[in-house]
Amino acid sequence: MSKVAIRCTDARVSYTVRTHRPLIRGALRGQRPDARVIEAVRGVTFDVAVGESVGVIGPNGSGKTSLLQATTGLLPLAGGQVLVRSTPAFLGVQAVLRPHLTGWRNIRLGLLAQGLNAAEARGQADGVAEFTGLGDFLDLRMETYSSGMRARLHFAVATALAPKILLIDEALAVGDREFRNKSAARLDDHRAAAGTVLLVSHNLAEIRRSCSRVIWLQEGLVVADGPTPDVLAAYEAS
Amino acid sequence: MEPTPAHPPLDSATDGLAPAGQSLPLGIYLRELWLRRDFVIRVPMEDLLAQNAHTFLGGIWLVLNPLLQVGVYFLVFGVIMPIDRGVDQYLVFLTIGVFVFFYSQRVVSEVARSVVVNLGLIRALRFPRAVLPLSATVGQAMAFLPALAVMAVVVVAHGTWPHPRWLLIPGLLVLQTAFSLGAGFVAARYNHTYRDLENLLPFVFRLAFYVSGVLYSVDHYIDSTLGRAVFLANPFYCFVTVWRWVMAGTPAAGEVWVATGIWSTVTLVVGFALFRARETTYGGTG
Repeated sequence: MSKVAIRCTDARVSYTVRTHRPLIRGALRGQRPDARVIEAVRGVTFDVAVGESVGVIGPNGSGKTSLLQATTGLLPLAGGQVLVRSTPAFLGVQAVLRPHLTGWRNIRLGLLAQGLNAAEARGQADGVAEFTGLGDFLDLRMETYSSGMRARLHFAVATALAPKILLIDEALAVGDREFRNKSAARLDDHRAAAGTVLLVSHNLAEIRRSCSRVIWLQEGLVVADGPTPDVLAAYEAS
Repeated sequence: MEPTPAHPPLDSATDGLAPAGQSLPLGIYLRELWLRRDFVIRVPMEDLLAQNAHTFLGGIWLVLNPLLQVGVYFLVFGVIMPIDRGVDQYLVFLTIGVFVFFYSQRVVSEVARSVVVNLGLIRALRFPRAVLPLSATVGQAMAFLPALAVMAVVVVAHGTWPHPRWLLIPGLLVLQTAFSLGAGFVAARYNHTYRDLENLLPFVFRLAFYVSGVLYSVDHYIDSTLGRAVFLANPFYCFVTVWRWVMAGTPAAGEVWVATGIWSTVTLVVGFALFRARETTYGGTG
């Protein structure tokens, strides 16, 4: 039996949204803030095995990103439990690292932050730079990059040290065709080395290419969980 | 819509699994920090050098800055209105007090901001978050070294030759840095949730500045035992007093040394524990 990498048991995530916050004067008169609780994930249960690559699909607002962020520990759970075998790496669309620094400096900083020493970081920087395919743009500050360029740099830095669990939230979608092929190839390598991937995407071709299993979320609940062809067929028919 | 049953369950054993967001055990956490010593030391060093890259004088500003500061004090308190506030060598007294106090203020303020200004890095990569306060502290400590040199020059220029007591300087610097980092850890934790703190800190320090004997000699104004005891509860007073003794030989009672040691260790340990307790929530929505 294969080992579990991620175990979600009845996981729930909710947000409290304050639509109206009374000023201090109102608060003194006893006004309460209008708070609405939005239940983004309403009890989700699944296991992901070590070395498995699972796609997560569903319409906007179905709780995909919240589920991923709860798996990193960034969002507290409102109920249930999420267990992980190691701290996952999270790749989102809004990666900035340090915007005022150049691409090169961000690569170096990112490698050092992940635990390489200065000499190792120097040794790996060229490989990471090459993977980004950003060329001379690496001499520019990261804040000048397009979202696709940022995603490339972030993907290259975050996967350079082969984290065991990778959570990807639409991070590949902003890249161009060449980068999508490259990143898909790296995900294949990652899986071959017993890495686990949870991939959120609206691009079903990408899911079909990289995932053997798909979880379909809707309104914070699991609609279907099974082999990619079956779930995608049901999803496309819905 | 009813949720369908999950994928066929795997191995039901949960060995090796830990709740997402649970922070690492202390020993492993410290080892992970140690692994990142190059980040903690080199990144602020490079930042410091890059800081003045667009100025004509470049790195010279690191020395020029404290030098100009002393120049202003000399002009105001030495030439324009020479007052001594009951202190011999007022310029020496003032320079040590101000430099030492501002060092702590800078460390605490920078550490307090270190988490919120690096949210991009936190959300993008996995690393023990304490490297951010640590690297902010290292940066300020490096920037303080030229100020320390200027302090020494001012003392010597007033005719006090280097004394064996000066050998205590590195140790004292470590103690003060530990205290400031510890206080910064606490500030960083709460500043992540309530950004208001960042706006409040300058006023807290302004108040501390006036009640810590930076500008005047506390001993000159307060002679009751109770009054002295109250000042021992003020870490800034303790540091300023001990620094003056080490650098210029101004008397510092033994209990001030004890208080300094206690402030440093307790603040660092408590601050680190408070910071680490929220480790995995930094970068989240609060």
